[in-house]
Amino acid sequence: MNARPMTEGRIAELAEAWGGDLRRWPEGEREAARAWVEADPDAADRALFSARQTDAALDAVPRLAVSAALRDRVIASAAGAGLKARAAWPGLRRLLWLGGAGWAAAACAGVVFGATLNGTLALERQAEAVLEQASMTGLDDLAVLG
Amino acid sequence: MAAAADPDEDLVRRVGQGDPAAIQALVARKLPRMLALAYRMLGDAVEAEDVAQEAMLRVWKQAPRWRPGQARFDTWLHRVGLNLCYDRLRRRREIPTEVLPDRPDPGPAPDRGLLAAELGARVDRALQALPQRQREAIVLCHYQELTNIEAAGLMEVSIEALESLLSRGRRTLRLSLADLAPGAEPAGEGGGR
Repeated sequence: MNARPMTEGRIAELAEAWGGDLRRWPEGEREAARAWVEADPDAADRALFSARQTDAALDAVPRLAVSAALRDRVIASAAGAGLKARAAWPGLRRLLWLGGAGWAAAACAGVVFGATLNGTLALERQAEAVLEQASMTGLDDLAVLG
Repeated sequence: MAAAADPDEDLVRRVGQGDPAAIQALVARKLPRMLALAYRMLGDAVEAEDVAQEAMLRVWKQAPRWRPGQARFDTWLHRVGLNLCYDRLRRRREIPTEVLPDRPDPGPAPDRGLLAAELGARVDRALQALPQRQREAIVLCHYQELTNIEAAGLMEVSIEALESLLSRGRRTLRLSLADLAPGAEPAGEGGGR
């Protein structure tokens, strides 16, 4: 969005500061610079030659690679700094916990009720057996006494 | 001017939630950038690793309370990394542990060209010899590929001042590496051929 026309002097200033690659130049001046370059590519090559050499020299500096040990230390430091996996929706976890607790309570109640019912039924069956046995004994007595 | 969307925003939000995959992805994306920044600024691999690790530790602490829309995450991270580098550079000035030899770079031997590694080391030395602010401008704009607005903001200078620092830095570099230019005579030699 720069209406200022590009001049040879400004091209030289920009190349001196930003280098010979127009993609690195300030966004506001890039379009006008491209038009200038396209208008006279040979002159542009001459104007940018020195800057491109400096770029190449800068790019020759080796890049320090990240070692596996450094990467592992940094990842481990995330846990040390308190970053731990949390549920994406914290309320959901609470609901699930409450739901689980409810089911557990219901299951316990069921077990207790079942055990009580079983005990009650066993006692009733025992009483019936005693009565039945008693009545059978009665019959036998009558038969004997008869 | 509408602010451009922050490409790191979603990743940082997931890191703040402790998502292990996001933590690994952020390390892959930012650790090499922080290491490169620190190495170019300090010229020392061990110190650069320390700075990069410390910067990432600050990321872990900041991520859960990161508020998008205030600053781009990458710019904030460069601010953190630069401050850590400044601290170390200041400490070096206060406690001079090593006196760098004050002698001109000998340049290449006259009877052979430079291998890539030698060339890289030579340029690296020339870069480290630049005044700190000039080196910083080149590191942020050339190596870290920040925009002029981002770099000027980080350095707290105007765009014009940034451009001036870049120009002076690159000019000094070119002069100190002049013997490498095609057709140049080897440095430190009589020059007769």
